[in-house]
Amino acid sequence: MTSLTTGLKGRSELGVALLLGAAGVLVFLDANGLVTPYSKSDPVGPKTVPFIVAGMLVVCAVLLAINVLRGGKGEAEGGEDVDLTHPADWKTVLPLAGAFILNILLIDWAGWVISGTVLFWGSVLALGSRHFVRDGLISVALSLLTFYGFYLGLGIALPAGLLEGIL
Amino acid sequence: MDVWSSLMDGFATALTPMNFVYAVIGVILGTAVGVLPGLGPAMTVALLLPVTYALEPTSAFIMFAGIYYGGMYGGSTTSILLNTPGESSSVVTAIEGNKMAKAGRAAQALATAAIGSFVAGTIGTALLAVCAPIVVKFAVSLGAPSYFAIMVLALLAVTAVLGSSRLRGFASLGLGLAIGLVGMDSVTGQRRLTFGQPLLADGLDIVVVAVAIFAVGEALWVAAHLRRTPLHAIPVGQPWMGKSDWKRSWKPWLRGTAFGFPFGALPAGGAEIPTFLSYVTEKRLSKHPEEFGKGAIEGVAGPEAANNAAAAGTLTPMLALGLPTNATAAVMLAAFTSYGIQPGPQLFESQGPLVWALIASLFIGNLLLLIINLPLAPLWAKLLQLPRPYLYAGILFFATLGAYSVNLQAFDLVILLILGALGFMMRRFGLPVLPLILGVILGPRIEGQLRKTLQLSAGDPAGLLGEPIALGIYVIIALILVWPFAYKLIRRNRPERRPLIPANSGAADYSD
Amino acid sequence: MTVVVGYVPTPEGEAALTQAIAEARKSNTTLVLINSSKGEATVDNRFAQEGDIHDIEQRLASQGIQYLVKRPVRGHDAAAEVLDAAEEHNADLIVIGLRRRTPVGKLIMGSTSQRILLEADCPVLAVKAG
Repeated sequence: MTSLTTGLKGRSELGVALLLGAAGVLVFLDANGLVTPYSKSDPVGPKTVPFIVAGMLVVCAVLLAINVLRGGKGEAEGGEDVDLTHPADWKTVLPLAGAFILNILLIDWAGWVISGTVLFWGSVLALGSRHFVRDGLISVALSLLTFYGFYLGLGIALPAGLLEGIL
Repeated sequence: MDVWSSLMDGFATALTPMNFVYAVIGVILGTAVGVLPGLGPAMTVALLLPVTYALEPTSAFIMFAGIYYGGMYGGSTTSILLNTPGESSSVVTAIEGNKMAKAGRAAQALATAAIGSFVAGTIGTALLAVCAPIVVKFAVSLGAPSYFAIMVLALLAVTAVLGSSRLRGFASLGLGLAIGLVGMDSVTGQRRLTFGQPLLADGLDIVVVAVAIFAVGEALWVAAHLRRTPLHAIPVGQPWMGKSDWKRSWKPWLRGTAFGFPFGALPAGGAEIPTFLSYVTEKRLSKHPEEFGKGAIEGVAGPEAANNAAAAGTLTPMLALGLPTNATAAVMLAAFTSYGIQPGPQLFESQGPLVWALIASLFIGNLLLLIINLPLAPLWAKLLQLPRPYLYAGILFFATLGAYSVNLQAFDLVILLILGALGFMMRRFGLPVLPLILGVILGPRIEGQLRKTLQLSAGDPAGLLGEPIALGIYVIIALILVWPFAYKLIRRNRPERRPLIPANSGAADYSD
Repeated sequence: MTVVVGYVPTPEGEAALTQAIAEARKSNTTLVLINSSKGEATVDNRFAQEGDIHDIEQRLASQGIQYLVKRPVRGHDAAAEVLDAAEEHNADLIVIGLRRRTPVGKLIMGSTSQRILLEADCPVLAVKAG
C-alpha cells in the first residue's frame, strides 16, 4: 500500500498537519497571555473561543497526521483549466510570486505606475507569453489607466512614487 | 410589511438608470466570468469589493447579484460547448449537453439551458421574495441562544456535510476561525494574535482575506497546473428550440426548480445535490430514457433549472439570516460587513429598501441574462480563445490593486501573499475553501452570540439550551456529528458484509 | 527523405494531408505530421483532438505509410513549428493547405502560409480544399 511515492506524498501533506498544529499552539499561547478578570457581564471572556479554536486545530492536526500516515490523501482541486496529471509547475508559480513581491517592494517608493507595470509584465512573462514589447505596452497602459481611473472615479490616490510631479 | 408593495418599491429603485446600468454590467461580467475558465463569480465579487467602496451599497449589490446569476448562465454555455466540464454544478449539464452538442444539437442545448435558467431563476426569486420575509419573521423572535445554535449548525453543515473529507473541512474551519480572531476583542478591547504588530490591531480586513483566498490562491493554483493541451469548442449558431424540444423541456424546468430551491435554501444544501437529483429523476420519468447518455434534452433542462433555483434559494438564508451557504454568498456577506451593514434577520428592517431593490434587480437580471445569452451564446464562446497569460496576470494585478486600495498599505499586500499561499496550499491538499471563509466571516459573530448568551444567563452554560429552538438544533447537530460513526457501526454489523471488499483508501481497517 | 505536412482539422488541412500521403507513397518516404498550438488559450479549434489524431494514425497505418505525428504546444506559432520540423527531419517537401480567398483577401495572404513559402529551404506544395 505504501510505495515510496505514496510515502513521500504523504510526507508533504504532513506539512499541513504541522501547520495546523503550529497554528493551534500559537493561538493557545497568544490567548493564554490575555488578562481576564472575571466579569459578570462577560463570563465567557476573551480567552474561551481562542482556546476552543486552538483545541480544534490541534485535534485536527493530530487526526490529519494519522489519516495521512494511514494513506489518506486530500484531493487536489480540479477545474476546467487545471491539469492535475503533472506536479506543480514551479517554474511558473515562483516567478509569479516574485513579480508579486517586487510589486510589494516597489509600490510605495516607486509608485503604482511602475510597480503595477512590473507586476503585470512579470506575471504575463511568467505565464509564458512571448510578445515582450506588446506585453510591456499593455502593462504600462493598464497601470496608467488604473492609476487615473482610481483617482478620478473612486477618489483613491494610488502612490505616484518616483513619477511624482509628472502624473 | 406587505411583500408586494415592498417589491414594487424595489423595482422602482432597481430601474433607476444608474442601477439599471450596474445590473447590466453585473450580468455581462457574470456571464463572461462564468464562461472563462479559472474564474468564478466568488472571485469576481471578491475582486470588486474594494472598488465598490465608492459606490452606493444598493448599486454595488445589484451588480453583485447580476454577477452571481450571470456566472451560472456562462457556466452552462461552457459546459455544453467544451468537451471538458468545469465547476461541479455544471458537471451534470455537461453530461447530456455536451453529447447534444457533439450530435449537432448545441443550439437546442444552449436554448433549453438559457430558458430553463430564466424560468427557474424567476420562480426562484419569486419564492425568495415570499419566503425570506417569513423566515425573517420567525428569526426575529429568536434570541441569542437560538441564533448561536443556528450559526453553529450552518458552519457544521458546510464543514461536515459538503466536501469529501470532513476532517479537512474542520481543519479549514479552524484556520478560518483563527484568522477571524486576529485583532481586537470586541468586548474587552484586548488584542489577540497581533504579535505586537500595530497594523494587525484592527484585524485582517475581510476584503483582503477574500481576495487572497479566492483570487490570488486560485490564480497561483491554476498557474501551477495550467492545462497545456488546448480543447475544442463545438461551433454553434444561434440557440433555438423546436416544438418537441419545448414540449420535452417545460416539465423538467419546473421539476428542476422544485428540487433546486429547497436545497439551495438549506444550510447544508448547495447546488450539486439538486442537479444530480434532477438528472436522475428526469431519466426515470423520461419517455425517451434510451437517449440519456447520448444527448437527452431533459437531462439539460432539469439540472440547469435546478442549478439556478438553488442559486436563488441560497440567497434566502443569506438575506434573511445572514448565513451564507456557498462561496459567492459568503463574499457578498463580506461586502455587507465592509459597508458597515450588519447581516442577519434585522437586515430587512434596517435596510429594507436595499434588500427589496436587490430582489427586484434579480428579476431584471434574469431577464437581461436571457436576452444576452440566448442570441449571443456563440459570441460568449469566443471568449474561450482569450490568451490565458493575460487572464491570470490580470487577476493578480486587480487583486493587488484592490487589496492595496483598501488601506493604501503595502502590509496588506504581504497579507495577501501569505494568505494567497495558504489558498494555494489548501487547494493542493484538498482542504475546502468555503469553511475557511465562513470561519473568518461568521467566527466573530458566533463568538459575539455566545458571549451574549452566557451574559444573559449570568455564566450558566445551561443558558445555551435556554430556548426550545436552540435545543432542537443541538439535537440536529448531534445527529450530524454522530451519523458517520453510526453508519460505520451499522456496516460492520451487517451480516452480508463481504470480506473481499477493499477498504476505502486504507483509511479504515475492517479486519480488526 | 521526409514529407512534412502542416495539418489543421479543416478542409484545407485535410486536402494537404491527402496530398502529403500521395507524395509519401510516391517517393516511399516518411510522413511527418505537424499540428501545433501556441497553447495560450483554453480553446484552440485548430488543434486536433485525440480522436482525430487516432483516426489519422489509423488511416496512415492502413495505407502502409511510415509516419510521425508531432503536436507541439510550446508557444510558437504554426509557421515556426512547421519550419522547425522541416529542418529537424531533413524534409524534401512541405505540404500545406491554402484557403481560397476573396479578392481583398488575396492581397493579404495568410501569414502562416506566406512565411512557410518564403522561408522554407525545400520545395513547398500548397494545396486547396475540394
